Amino acid sequence: MIVRYRLLLIAGVVALIATDLMGMAIPWLIKGGIDAIIGKGGVSPSLIKYPLMIVGAALLQALLRYFWRMNIFGFSRRIERDLRGEVFAHLLKLPLAYFQHMKTGDLMSRLTNDMQSMRELMGFGSLAIIDTAVIITGSLSLMIAIDPVLTFWSLLCLPFISFSVRFFGNRIFQKSWDVQQHLSLLSTYVQENLSGIRVVQAYAQEENQIRGFQRLSAEYRRKNLWLATLWSVLWPLMRIFAGISAAIVLWLGGRKVMQGAMTLGEFAAFNGYLAMLTWPLIAVGHVVNQYQRGAAALSRIIEILDVPVAPGYRESELPTPTEPIRGDVEIRNLNFSYGDGHPPALRGISLKIPAGATCGIIGETGSGKSTLVHLLLRLFEPPPGAVFIDSTDVTTIPLPRLKAAIGFVSQDIFLFSDTIRENILFGYRDADREALEESARIAEILPSIRGFTRQFDTILGERGVRLSGGQKQRTALARAIVKNPPVLILDDAFSSLDTETEDDILNHLREFMSKRTTILISHRISTVKGADMILYMRKGEIIERGIHEELLNRRGAYYRLHQRQQLTREVDEMPRREGPR
Amino acid sequence: MSETMHPEDEIFGKFYDARLMGRILRYLKPYWKLLVLSLLFLVLYTGTLLLGPYLTKIAIDQYISAGNLDGLKLVVMAYLGTVFLGFFFLFGETYITEYTGQRAMHDLRTQIFAHLQKQDMAYLDRNPVGRLMTRTINDVETLNELFSTGVVGLLGDAFTVFGIAGAMLLLDWKLALVTLAGFPLIIYLSRFYRRRARDVYRESRLVLGRLNANLQESIAGMGTIQSFGQEEKAYERFQGINTDYRDVLLRGIRYNALFFPVIEVFSALTIGLTLWFGGRLILGHALLPGVIVAFIQYIQRMYTPIRDIAEKYNIMQAAMASSERIFALLDTEEKIRNPLVPKVPRQFQGAVEFKDVWLSYNPGEPVLRGITFRVEAGEKIALVGATGGGKTSIIAALCRFYEIERGSILVDGVDIREWNKQDLRRRLGLVLQDVFLFSGDIAGNITLGDPRISEEQIHAASRRAHIASYIEQLPAGYREEVQERGVTLSQGQRQLLSFARALAFDPRILILDEATSSVDTRTETLIQEALKELLKDRTALIIAHRLSTIKNVNRILVIHKGELWEEGSHQELLARQGLYSRLYELQYQAQEHGGNGAHSPVG
Repeated sequence: MIVRYRLLLIAGVVALIATDLMGMAIPWLIKGGIDAIIGKGGVSPSLIKYPLMIVGAALLQALLRYFWRMNIFGFSRRIERDLRGEVFAHLLKLPLAYFQHMKTGDLMSRLTNDMQSMRELMGFGSLAIIDTAVIITGSLSLMIAIDPVLTFWSLLCLPFISFSVRFFGNRIFQKSWDVQQHLSLLSTYVQENLSGIRVVQAYAQEENQIRGFQRLSAEYRRKNLWLATLWSVLWPLMRIFAGISAAIVLWLGGRKVMQGAMTLGEFAAFNGYLAMLTWPLIAVGHVVNQYQRGAAALSRIIEILDVPVAPGYRESELPTPTEPIRGDVEIRNLNFSYGDGHPPALRGISLKIPAGATCGIIGETGSGKSTLVHLLLRLFEPPPGAVFIDSTDVTTIPLPRLKAAIGFVSQDIFLFSDTIRENILFGYRDADREALEESARIAEILPSIRGFTRQFDTILGERGVRLSGGQKQRTALARAIVKNPPVLILDDAFSSLDTETEDDILNHLREFMSKRTTILISHRISTVKGADMILYMRKGEIIERGIHEELLNRRGAYYRLHQRQQLTREVDEMPRREGPR
Repeated sequence: MSETMHPEDEIFGKFYDARLMGRILRYLKPYWKLLVLSLLFLVLYTGTLLLGPYLTKIAIDQYISAGNLDGLKLVVMAYLGTVFLGFFFLFGETYITEYTGQRAMHDLRTQIFAHLQKQDMAYLDRNPVGRLMTRTINDVETLNELFSTGVVGLLGDAFTVFGIAGAMLLLDWKLALVTLAGFPLIIYLSRFYRRRARDVYRESRLVLGRLNANLQESIAGMGTIQSFGQEEKAYERFQGINTDYRDVLLRGIRYNALFFPVIEVFSALTIGLTLWFGGRLILGHALLPGVIVAFIQYIQRMYTPIRDIAEKYNIMQAAMASSERIFALLDTEEKIRNPLVPKVPRQFQGAVEFKDVWLSYNPGEPVLRGITFRVEAGEKIALVGATGGGKTSIIAALCRFYEIERGSILVDGVDIREWNKQDLRRRLGLVLQDVFLFSGDIAGNITLGDPRISEEQIHAASRRAHIASYIEQLPAGYREEVQERGVTLSQGQRQLLSFARALAFDPRILILDEATSSVDTRTETLIQEALKELLKDRTALIIAHRLSTIKNVNRILVIHKGELWEEGSHQELLARQGLYSRLYELQYQAQEHGGNGAHSPVG
């Protein structure tokens, strides 16, 4: 990555060095200017010569400065963007399990805050190191050229600037960390309080909560004040060191001027160089501190890159057969667990769904229904030799081919904050307008979309239109339909709709479903009762299988569930006594 | 950082808004003496800054040129003096400013927090926790920057610029006028730059917001992305914003890279001008050379404040936007207020009466429709019904979490709107289904931080709730931390702990929403025992999920679609063969055969 922009960096560094050299020329010219006035006596052409040279040097310096700023800071910004893109691309290929145990906030902070620390180290760090090297050697040699003894005395105090920046900088960093920690404590307190506000109000504990908050806030105030104290010592302290040096120069230099061992111009130039030294000395102390932070940030970024990608993304060149997938699904004695130490999520599952058939899976939450289809999609990696599509082990089907073949509507609908069009076409970008509208029609979302002023260009999400739960599910359904996949999986997709609406959607879908393999997952009997085969799952196992009537006649778990659901429905359908007033 | 952006977070304030500033300053009023002191220090510090070059001039013109070593010594001492005084003044100014700022922010933060405590549930339902947290914490932080860098920094910069101009005019007004001739142009240029820098700042904030939103969405929607095989597209989408972000910032770099050198050129131009014009004056014996040296030093100090102006401008702006949001929050009125003169019933008995109570969360969608019932003091009532029927709303209305629309609720004969809210709630012990634990130790979770509950009362309550023996065998006993850092309590233990909480507060009326989660048989027995203790000598309203509970209460109210459907004892209602008998079959019958402790209705 650095190699990509090495020309930028090299040009920037060269410009920076030239800028610094030009900057050092200016005090020298001032010296010439002053001496020209004092020394000569009488109007001389040099009176205008030096001012003009100063302005010329400054113009050249400005040009160079523009150049290095664009190059060096541009370099670090470009690196930041590329690295962030690379990390994001890597995230996209990580196994889903990774996201279950990583906090979103943590990942986001690594891709933003840590990136920023790293970039600052690159931009500011390289600037400071070069600046320091050039200015210190340059200024020092010029100062020595003016007067070596004075240089020695004036430098006595200056290293303390670096030391104090280093010393205080470290403490300031620790204190800032402390303050940050306390701030998150304060945030947590507020978050807890608001989440538990019912309890707080129910027990009339508002006053105590306020007192608790006040205590924490006061502690935060104290910690901040400590930090502020460190800051308010550091800056004045650096001024003191610089000031002492200036006083030494004034005293010793002034004496030399008196004795005629030094011209007034030299004296002014010397002061100028001394002032130039201050900034690199501060920067060098700062960079040492920054380095530690930048390195820590970088290691957190690299930590992400070190996580191996999901198996499906690893196999690079699997042969991709040309004939389309028919949609025979077969599972042979599948056992699966989410990892060592986890209880088995699926045990001894075997089933066969011929192409075009519909299979209903029913069972309580946590019975393994969703796990089963996740394995089919390779969202989690199934063991080899267990899950087959068209008699091919899914672990040997290239991921793009597999995913193009399956239309999946999951339990928790996720729509992007983008237009409805983009959301539906998410599944199949090449679809034409006709296909887009057809899929919306089948999913019965078309009338709703027609109702929006911007139709398919309506933006969804926080800053756009908020869809109802049912509309979201239909949009997600359209997203799966537009792919025209040979296999359709509806994973409890209509749980937030009432039974009538669900029946209605399923009826509409019937024609679409008849031409492809469909897996219907639900906890409602009404969803699956028309399926060609129904599986009842409990605790990772299939406990009953058959078609609706067979299962009812068996008078087992399926039958009992059916009875309960009937009863619930009856209760729900009981009308109110009185109409709305 | 895990925040989605709310539209209102994107407001960018004006640079200065007198109305807002006036309100902000009110928080500083208690500390005005300190502020005056810090302002004084600021002026004095600027003074020491101005003295440096002036002393150099004295040294050159009066002593060095005259060869007066003692005089030079004096000037050097004076110079050192200004350096040390400067240290003292700068320290004093920074510290006092920070101190008052922190104090004022502490006051403001506490006020916001206290304000939130008084809001009713409808308000808290409407405003996501994350947004309110941002107001209480982050917006106050932004405002704090206004104090520590913004206002004071701007004042200090103004002092410096005007001070230097003044000092130069005093030293030699002719030379000063020539030197300062370019200054209006610089001011003009810096305004131009400031506007650009502000635009870049705004845009970069917006793009960063988009970047964060996309990042959050992509991580949250990773399952969808991967199941549709849309990694490429997600990457393109992200990289598009990522590139936009880079480009906005590169534009910012360009403005800086243009403006900073221009400032330097101006500084050099001014120095050149000083040398040329000053040189002519010196040659004409109208000026002493020290003045030129001093001028050059002044010029170098004058341009730093101008360079930093954009940064301070942004701070001011962000602070104005934050304060606007904070004040908007503080201006929301408390919806459920205490009456001016609360009524107190003659005796606390614990009788509850609902008279034709209507309640809606959304206008036009009543969740309670004319509920009427009466609970005598000491009576135990179970509320039964399908999910969403209105049981929880009855409880919420009784606790006055929401204001009812019509009808009235009486506790001991006094309308709850005439009670003092806190007094009322102290008589009502609410035990919720999902027990909310605060971080802190076990004792703190029983008392909720109420200092009036003694150590003995905590122990007694825990014993009666049958959780004492468990707590006492923990390494730190009642001081054991719960939540993240400490023990993880099981569902059953959490319930017992919430019973202990209610017992410690000893309310006249107990309101219990029984947990539906199943627990093991041993814990179930403990809960049954503890429940008996809890119900003793109290009025009780219970959203019942346990068979044993509905069998033991005096009366059962069946709530259906916001109405009171039927009421009576378990046997009476079963005999009626109505809604209750079906609900019983659905929710409780399985427990007859020793099934799980409790059952959730299957929807």
